[in-house]
Amino acid sequence: KVDHREKKEFELLQFPNNRIHTSKYNVLTFLPINLFEQFQRVANAYFLFLLILQLIPEISSLSWFTTIVPLVLVLTITAVKDATDDYFRHKSDNQVNNRLSEVLINGRLQSEKWMNVMAGDIIKLENNQFVAADLLLLSSSEPHGLCYIETAELDGETNLKVRHALPVTSELGTDISRLAKFDGVVACEPPNNKLDKFTGDLSWKDNKYPLNNEKIILRGCVLRNTSWCFGMVIFAGPDTKLMQNSGKTKFKRTSIDRLMNTLVLWIFGFLVCMGIILAIGNSIWEHQVGDYFRAFLFQDEVVKNSIFSGFLTFWSYIIILNTVVPISLYVSVEVIRLGHSYFINWDRKMYYSKKETLAEARTTTLNEELGQIEYVFSDKTGTLTQNIMTFNKCSINGKTYGKLFSPLKKIFPLLFSYNKFQFYDHSLVESIKLGDPKVHEFFRLLALCHTVMPEEKNEGKLIYQVQSPDEGALVTAARNFGFIFKSRTPETITVEEMGKVVTYQLLAFLDFNNIRKRMSVIGTNDTFEFGGEGLRTLAIAYRDLNEEYFKEWFKLLEEANREFDKRDECIAAAYEEIEKDMMLLGATAIEDKLQDGVIETIASLSLANIKIWVLTGDKQETAMNIGYSCNMLTDDMNEVFIISGHSAAEVWEELKKAKEILFGRSTGFTNGYAFCEKLQELKRGSTVEESVTGDYALIINGHSLGHALEANLQSEFLEIACICKTVICCRVTPLQKAQVVELVKEYRKAVTLAIGDGANDISMIKSAHIGVGISGQEGMQAVLASDYSFAQFRYLQRLLLVHGRWSYFRMCKFLCYFFYKNFAFTLVHFWFGFFCGFSAQTVYDQWFITLFNIVYTSLPILAMGIFDQDVSEQNSMDYPNLYRPGQLNLLFNKSKFFICIAHGVYTSFALFFIPYGVFYNLAGEDGKHIADYQSFAVTIATSLVIVVSVQIALDTSYWTVINHVFIWGSVATYFSILFTMHSDGIFDVFPNQFPFVGNARHSLTQKNIWLVILLTTVVSVMPVIAFRFIKVDLYPTLSDQIRQLQKVQDKARPLKSHRRQPRRTSSRRSGYAFAHQEGYGELITSGKNMRVKNLHPTSGLGKTMYNSTSWIENLCKKTTDTVNSFSLDRTVKL
Amino acid sequence: MERNSNDVPGLLSRMPDNTAFKQQRLPAWRSHLTAWAVLPGFFTTGAFFLGMGILLILSAKSVKEIEITYTSMCSNCAKLRENASNFYKECTCSVPFFIPEKMPGNVYMYYKLHNFYQNLRRYTISRNNRQLLGEDITNVENCAPFQRDSNGIPIAPCGAIANSMFNDTILLSYYPHSSTRINVPLLSSGITWWTDKHIKFQNPRSNNLPSAFTGTTKPPYWRKPVYQLDPENPENNGFLNNDFIVWMRVAALPTFKKLYRRIHRTGPFANGLPAGNYSFDIAYNFPVTVFKGEKGVVLSTVTWSGGSNLFLGIAYLTTGAVIWLAAFSMTAVHLKMKKRNIVSES
Repeated sequence: KVDHREKKEFELLQFPNNRIHTSKYNVLTFLPINLFEQFQRVANAYFLFLLILQLIPEISSLSWFTTIVPLVLVLTITAVKDATDDYFRHKSDNQVNNRLSEVLINGRLQSEKWMNVMAGDIIKLENNQFVAADLLLLSSSEPHGLCYIETAELDGETNLKVRHALPVTSELGTDISRLAKFDGVVACEPPNNKLDKFTGDLSWKDNKYPLNNEKIILRGCVLRNTSWCFGMVIFAGPDTKLMQNSGKTKFKRTSIDRLMNTLVLWIFGFLVCMGIILAIGNSIWEHQVGDYFRAFLFQDEVVKNSIFSGFLTFWSYIIILNTVVPISLYVSVEVIRLGHSYFINWDRKMYYSKKETLAEARTTTLNEELGQIEYVFSDKTGTLTQNIMTFNKCSINGKTYGKLFSPLKKIFPLLFSYNKFQFYDHSLVESIKLGDPKVHEFFRLLALCHTVMPEEKNEGKLIYQVQSPDEGALVTAARNFGFIFKSRTPETITVEEMGKVVTYQLLAFLDFNNIRKRMSVIGTNDTFEFGGEGLRTLAIAYRDLNEEYFKEWFKLLEEANREFDKRDECIAAAYEEIEKDMMLLGATAIEDKLQDGVIETIASLSLANIKIWVLTGDKQETAMNIGYSCNMLTDDMNEVFIISGHSAAEVWEELKKAKEILFGRSTGFTNGYAFCEKLQELKRGSTVEESVTGDYALIINGHSLGHALEANLQSEFLEIACICKTVICCRVTPLQKAQVVELVKEYRKAVTLAIGDGANDISMIKSAHIGVGISGQEGMQAVLASDYSFAQFRYLQRLLLVHGRWSYFRMCKFLCYFFYKNFAFTLVHFWFGFFCGFSAQTVYDQWFITLFNIVYTSLPILAMGIFDQDVSEQNSMDYPNLYRPGQLNLLFNKSKFFICIAHGVYTSFALFFIPYGVFYNLAGEDGKHIADYQSFAVTIATSLVIVVSVQIALDTSYWTVINHVFIWGSVATYFSILFTMHSDGIFDVFPNQFPFVGNARHSLTQKNIWLVILLTTVVSVMPVIAFRFIKVDLYPTLSDQIRQLQKVQDKARPLKSHRRQPRRTSSRRSGYAFAHQEGYGELITSGKNMRVKNLHPTSGLGKTMYNSTSWIENLCKKTTDTVNSFSLDRTVKL
Repeated sequence: MERNSNDVPGLLSRMPDNTAFKQQRLPAWRSHLTAWAVLPGFFTTGAFFLGMGILLILSAKSVKEIEITYTSMCSNCAKLRENASNFYKECTCSVPFFIPEKMPGNVYMYYKLHNFYQNLRRYTISRNNRQLLGEDITNVENCAPFQRDSNGIPIAPCGAIANSMFNDTILLSYYPHSSTRINVPLLSSGITWWTDKHIKFQNPRSNNLPSAFTGTTKPPYWRKPVYQLDPENPENNGFLNNDFIVWMRVAALPTFKKLYRRIHRTGPFANGLPAGNYSFDIAYNFPVTVFKGEKGVVLSTVTWSGGSNLFLGIAYLTTGAVIWLAAFSMTAVHLKMKKRNIVSES
């Protein structure tokens, strides 16, 4: 590792300034760089190659403009798109670079643009300001050089984080002169993208101070609750962790893209084959016929050798036939996808008005994959749930208060003045008014035992700074019932109890941790000593302690704190000592509110055969409860497998059991060594799934998942998981989320979608085929990493079933038609080759070849690709089964491609041989000779335009005004351009470029030419109609049936919504929250986060402990007991 | 966050417009292949095609056409022409034939070439339209390999197409009796497209055609320079020569016929060609046997659909028949399906 040293005023030159560039080009570099990038695309390079071929006169069978016009057009469109994108990047760069911050220059604070900030500068930040660069925190307005930051833009977490300055630097305070003289040297690791790690040290005044992440404020953070702070810039501009993280995102491709690339390669192969056939034909022809013919026609023949002639012909034909892979294919696909993306952005039904959040297609190239999703991986918190906790029920002294809100029975909620708090039970208020001591005790405890920080705003408004929302919900509930938590100091808690202000002495604070799963506050007021234990959100218990006992225990605790090697164990023992013999007061139930429409969405997606896996960092109970509340788990499931083994062997055992249940004992469980074959089987797409009937669910824990994801178990895990209707992975790390997605992606060959809202979902969002970010609530990180974003989980239904389905449907139709069209267009040259001595003579006019794909036929197909709908959006939502064809890849696959190609070949055959038969012995109505090459060309070209227009008309199932305009307009354009190019005027100016003068006029006035066109059209199109009609009649797809139905509906009445409401089957289940984060206890008791000067440090109170197991088990039992007695009537298998 | 969106929906700036276009609700007609549209459509189209096929066949049959291939009949001339050294030797050949039925109305005379590839790419591009416009007769660009002669003098008209011009002269004689012979009057006018004659081809502007072509030389395979193509009609010379214009309109396929003359409807031929004995008197100049080609003359009348063209009629008839066949089978399938559906529904 190379350390890089930086110091104010020294070696500044090698550090970048704070200017950031996300833009790719500037005015000068745009053209070369953009062109270079574009020609890196195989297709563009290929066309450049063709262009070069066309410049060789010996083989140039087409004028250079036939290639260069479309190529320039395609390059221009792409360049314009890139330029616009870059313009916006420039704009946002400028906006960011020109933000102002206060920099200490020459001993004075001066406003300076962000881009001029250098490493080593000292910056003053004020509350709610964005941090300009990665800073070493020097001092702040808060005591001990503390400051709070919000890292939402960095990692998506909205809870505040604390940063401490080094004590030595925090003394500097706001003293500008001392700060200006600050000349510490920071030695640190080179710039990297690890957001949660920093190592380095500060050398100042002959002392060395270690630095870690706690001392660093990163660019992109926002300063909160701190009126000012000073920091020294460590990394600026591109070196900042934010910029280091905004690396190049992996370019995602859709399966259609990959298929398209394969097909294009095949077509290249086909092209080469045709070229070879024609070249051989040319050699033979030259040998048999041309030799004699040549003597007659040409004086001095360059090409005497028939083999060499064949070689040249090969290249000539490659040029002519290149239109089977049209340049416009890729650009058309992009245009269509862009159109679909706009439709997503414009969709009012995916617009969340409460937060004014639009759905946004952030990646415009993946739309059709939305119609092929098989697996959805969803985060829980913030995605399925709102991450809003509401105090919904409680049980005090055996009596239960509060009812679940049910849509059937309308209960008028109690409305409280604060925060729109709703509670549906009046009896609780009655009990409080009556002064039930147990009830009072209950709420007093809620108001005391927590880590909430109150903040009094100017108008006496009390705002709670909460670390976890469930805690906030409890304190707010207590407040609403008259026990208002007012303020706290390190030693006291002030609560207003039914109007009476009481101050409690805080004696000890036993912070929450994940192992004990409880938190205690030991306090006292004038009248009685008081000990309480709050098993947060679940059970509330208390214990009265006498003073001697407490003192004794406190001594024990202090001893434990002094212990060096076994401190944690001792503290745990001490905690265990006091947290016993508690009086159970009651329990609370905090509902983790589901987002709107989650149940319906999940039901509908399940009907669409989309499997939804929930991957959450939450604990198992919470995850399961959410599973029940959104009907992913139901009571009538055959079996819910819970995998929670701690070792690989246990997990193996559990999986084996699950498998036995699934398949019966007959199917043996493969041992770990035979897994390779198993994986192969899985890759091939196992059919075992069908043999298993019944609904199963799989719930797996993070640590078990770790084992299950190991190479020798993953196939088994995947197999079982894929059979299960519901899979819930809880306590998973972000990395595991991504691993699960990768596993399914790799072995199921299925299209996956990951949806989440937090920073912990980023890895999964990035690794899934499609990543969806929930926008509008937490930070932006998930959204920034995502391909699509919207505000509510329920919009997923519309995104997939409507937009995705349509996109897929349209794209498939587009591709089918596009390949068909170009084969029909191009292969005519192939047939003609046999009648023109394989001389690479084109059938059409060169201008026609140039314009066919980009003018005559481009718009109708784009209109179809953008606007077509087979069934209405309402029906797409109502019949989720319509989504199946996309998952099974039915609308465009290799066999479909061959059908399209065959169709194209057939059409080209008809297009060539019908005119051929007629022209063989043709004379005009006036006896004049019309069997000339030019008339032949015009006849076939006109037939082609009409045939492909009729074909697109047949393919278009949704005829909007735009389709009409484009289809009729294209045919009209063709004729007007035809007559223009065959006009006298243009011939007079460019006689060599437009030699077709008068042709349209003469041949298109001949009746038999029109008879040829009509015959060709009917022969090309009628079989298609017949085939489709028979298919719809004999084997109607669901889409066909619904279209039929739609026709009837349209006739009968305007479309009425007949949406089915999925019912919640188990109303008793509800998503109750369990907290799972370590608390703020240490900060509170240490008083560090309070502006009180006199404090004596009590250290180590909130330390975690790991190895006391007996009481954990006790607690677990206690927990489940309480839960069972309270809200659940089923035993949850733990 | 607590903003109430229902209050003033108009004020929400970010809300997408509620237009039919943006919401994909454009009024549209949904196409659907219903039996009611497809089956009658098939029957009608089939009927139309059958009718049209019969009509086309009948009218093709009504066309009187006689084709005489004279390469083998004039084998001595053909032999002679195989040797390039006999280039300037005259060779004539008389081909007698019999017209069994009267050819009424306008009768057209075509020459027909077999196996002559006028559609070779290098052949078709070997011309210069600017030169043929008479503006710049020394412009021989694109005319390779017939741009200039060995002295470097530009060729007019340049290029392979012009060089290979069909140069047989064919005269038609009628024998009302075995002893009398009447030359059938032939018109060389009106055999070109109007646009070719008036726009595409122009003589260089000059009072005297030969002087207009000074500085150029004749194509190597030609006997006479371009301004002497028609010795009888001085108007029919230079680039405006009708035979030249017809030749320059290259044929699409290797077997083709080009209009050579029209029968002038005067005297005994006012109503067309009467039945009887005829002969072609051919000045055999154009060598075809070297490339295994053949030459012929075609006499033909025309109808509304052009000349005799059985292919179109047969194609229409076949297509019509196939469409009807398809229509019947589709109807059968449809009725069967309907029955089955009714059964399954009940």
